[in-house]
Amino acid sequence: MSKNFFEIKDVDFNVSGKTKVKDVSFSIENEGDVICLLGPSGIGKTTILRTIAGLEKINKGSIKLNGKLISSEKINIEPENRNVSLAFQDNSLFPHYTVEKNILLGAERNKEKNGKKITLKEIVDLLDIFHILSKYPHEISAGEAQRASLARSLITQPDLLLLDEPLSNVDQSFKEEIQVRLKKILNQLKITTIIVTHDSYEAFYLGNKCGIILNQQLKQFDDPYKVYHFPNSIEVVNFLNRGILIPAKVTGKNTLENWDLGTIEGNFIKEYPKGANVQLLLQPEDLEHDDKSNLKLEVVDRKFRGTNFIYTLKTPSNTKIPVFVHSHHIHQHEVDEKFGIKRPIHIDHIVCF
Amino acid sequence: MRINFWYISSILISFFVIIPILTVFSSFFENTSNYYQVLKDTFLLEYILNSLILLLSVLILTFLIGTGSAYLVSFFEFPFSNFFKWALILSFAVPPYIYAYSLTAFFENYGTAYTILKNLFGEADYNQNIPKFDGLFGVILSISFSLYAYVYILARASFLYQPQNLIDLGKNLGFSKFKTLYSIVLPAARPAIVAGLSLVAMETLAEFGAVDFFSINTLTTGIYNSWIAFDDLAFANQLSFYLLLFIFALFILENLSRKRAKYHMNSRGGFKQKQKIKLSGRKSLMAFTFCFLVFFLSFLFPLSQMMYWTIKFPENLFDLQIINLLINTLYLVVLSSLVLIIFALISNYGNRVNKDKTLNVLSTLSISGYAIPGVILAVAFITFIAWIDESVIKTFGFLSIKKVFIGSIFGLVIVYFIRFYSLAFNGIKSGYEKINISVDESSYLLGYSKRKTFMNIHIPFLRNSLLFVFILISLEIIRELPITLILRPFNFETFATTAYISASEDLLEAAAVPSLFLILIATSFIIVTSKYILRDQNE
Repeated sequence: MSKNFFEIKDVDFNVSGKTKVKDVSFSIENEGDVICLLGPSGIGKTTILRTIAGLEKINKGSIKLNGKLISSEKINIEPENRNVSLAFQDNSLFPHYTVEKNILLGAERNKEKNGKKITLKEIVDLLDIFHILSKYPHEISAGEAQRASLARSLITQPDLLLLDEPLSNVDQSFKEEIQVRLKKILNQLKITTIIVTHDSYEAFYLGNKCGIILNQQLKQFDDPYKVYHFPNSIEVVNFLNRGILIPAKVTGKNTLENWDLGTIEGNFIKEYPKGANVQLLLQPEDLEHDDKSNLKLEVVDRKFRGTNFIYTLKTPSNTKIPVFVHSHHIHQHEVDEKFGIKRPIHIDHIVCF
Repeated sequence: MRINFWYISSILISFFVIIPILTVFSSFFENTSNYYQVLKDTFLLEYILNSLILLLSVLILTFLIGTGSAYLVSFFEFPFSNFFKWALILSFAVPPYIYAYSLTAFFENYGTAYTILKNLFGEADYNQNIPKFDGLFGVILSISFSLYAYVYILARASFLYQPQNLIDLGKNLGFSKFKTLYSIVLPAARPAIVAGLSLVAMETLAEFGAVDFFSINTLTTGIYNSWIAFDDLAFANQLSFYLLLFIFALFILENLSRKRAKYHMNSRGGFKQKQKIKLSGRKSLMAFTFCFLVFFLSFLFPLSQMMYWTIKFPENLFDLQIINLLINTLYLVVLSSLVLIIFALISNYGNRVNKDKTLNVLSTLSISGYAIPGVILAVAFITFIAWIDESVIKTFGFLSIKKVFIGSIFGLVIVYFIRFYSLAFNGIKSGYEKINISVDESSYLLGYSKRKTFMNIHIPFLRNSLLFVFILISLEIIRELPITLILRPFNFETFATTAYISASEDLLEAAAVPSLFLILIATSFIIVTSKYILRDQNE
């Protein structure tokens, strides 16, 4: 018997007879782990959650929870018998009940879990929804409805909690605070959770592991750090949109050469033969600014991001490279000015394709 | 496809409703008697022409009255506009045949109009100066003033939900009020108005009481005569088939004319309470006069005529067994409504949880009963039972089942069920449409079974819709005439049948008392549910 708490093996996820995501396999080893699934809109993330919840059927592969087969070609345990809770992205509160009654309906299923049972008060405090308890769903904002829906799902203390874009409608100012609280409560209650989101920062913060779904496939499933720094395909790089690929030639065990930037040193993630032509992933934090450097590139754009600037620089071969600079940097560079890059260029882990 | 209780029940319910409807259509292919030839040589053209004139006139009149009054109360503020908002639906309480009795009673020689003139100006020969609203014109007025409320309710609801932005856009483009009305407001409300008009069309073509009272030969009369006088059900069905084809042709024409235009606005955050324009002076008086005239003519006039006669001939009040009639009417109403609501609920839920094409087709077919005139349904039902009795029951040597179904409350409820199933099904369906499917899914995920979801989540949510459907069906049954006339048990009368029988015996004064009670009961039902019928923004 598998040791994993939750396991998906070779599953095709379908909706209305169409396959959305093919041949998916991943597992959650320990009870209480949180994983996040990232991908563009319409790719099938929600279908995956709905299938795990039992709302869609599968005709290939298997899904096991806590050692029990819950979905396969032949078996489909009804949603009400799975003890899996799904918080929908859109408001799915019962419109004729108050928020409090909605949450209490979830509490009816609440079983003590790992010696702790969450109370209504705790959940209300956690999500800061005391002021809306007596209101009906149509009287509250979309963000409040999303928090109420999250509360109803959390209070059931399910074996597996599925959250579909749980904070997409929550105000940005409040979002980070809720993320912190959510992470804390999931940890405390050891609720195994799968979160679907398109916000990579949310996924990297909340997830023990992250899965990237692109082109009908689960492209990468790994620790957030590795997903970010060691993307395993060009598609993942493009999806995360955090760097560019530039042509380079491997010149030694730890070096490669780019026509515009010259020699680049670092540790290769994968081995390449000397002389191989590769595409090097260059992320904004890989290059350092140095006004005194003789490697000067032209500024074509500057984005202010609060804590930092991201400069877009144009190389002689017309490649546009993003470079991260702390916003307290002594002086700013305007568009069309020259911008120095520190040499020698050193990248901790070199990712090539 | 998983076969479950809900699936089987929904299939059975739909199938049950479809059988008599299919009987009507299957008769279309049977041989007819020589009545067809007789009719073709004599009155067929007149029947068709009369039906066409009746239909088109009623459609034009109900459009003008219904849309006009809905426009005024939705967009403008004038004296009593809030009162008219709900008062204008009271015409539902007056069936066309009672309106016809009132018209005759008021304008006939030495009728109420004569009495009023005599009391005001003394004895004279007023009869020749009093217009006579009988014949085809009388039928048109009776049906229009009774049925315009369909158009009024749907048009008003549509006006109410038109976003303020749309109106503001008209102003921004420099449109006059009239141009805003015909180029923005009316086109946007077109589907609702057409839906109202199609209900009017079906009711008009199925109308029996008023047409019969004024002795106008229409296709409906032809259908009735071919069955009563010539016992030719197949030809009756053929006539009704033509009638239905005519209705479908109208729908298709309307649909084609829309082309690809869309009428739905994204309602998300788009609803904003419209600012009503306050009218003053001449415009205010004109708006008030229009609404008052509609209210007076459609409701106060028939009501006061019936009251006048009831008071003038009080002996009729004591002749009738009012309590008996009341019990009979309410008994039919409650029994039929409950049966309809329970089965329509089950069928709706079955359709919701089993997304199955066969079930979907059966459900769509099952709601077509409303388009078939009551006379036809009643006759088709008798034919079907007689056929079963002859070919199945008696063959196996069982006792005849005719008595169980024909001339019994049971049979009556079954045919009401078939006729009004679409009202119940669609009424509940529109309630269900407001429940997002994710609500069901959330319920399952909270551990609720399908039955528990139905009982604990859906029924409490649908409470208002169910009450509305109950009243809607009740109103129909209180007013219903041909089915009750044909299938009621011996000596079992309702207010509608008593009024009809008295009127057909030329005892209009006697028809006044049951008519008055019918109007009063229907009015009280309407008042109770007016807030659901008028659905304001809080719905």
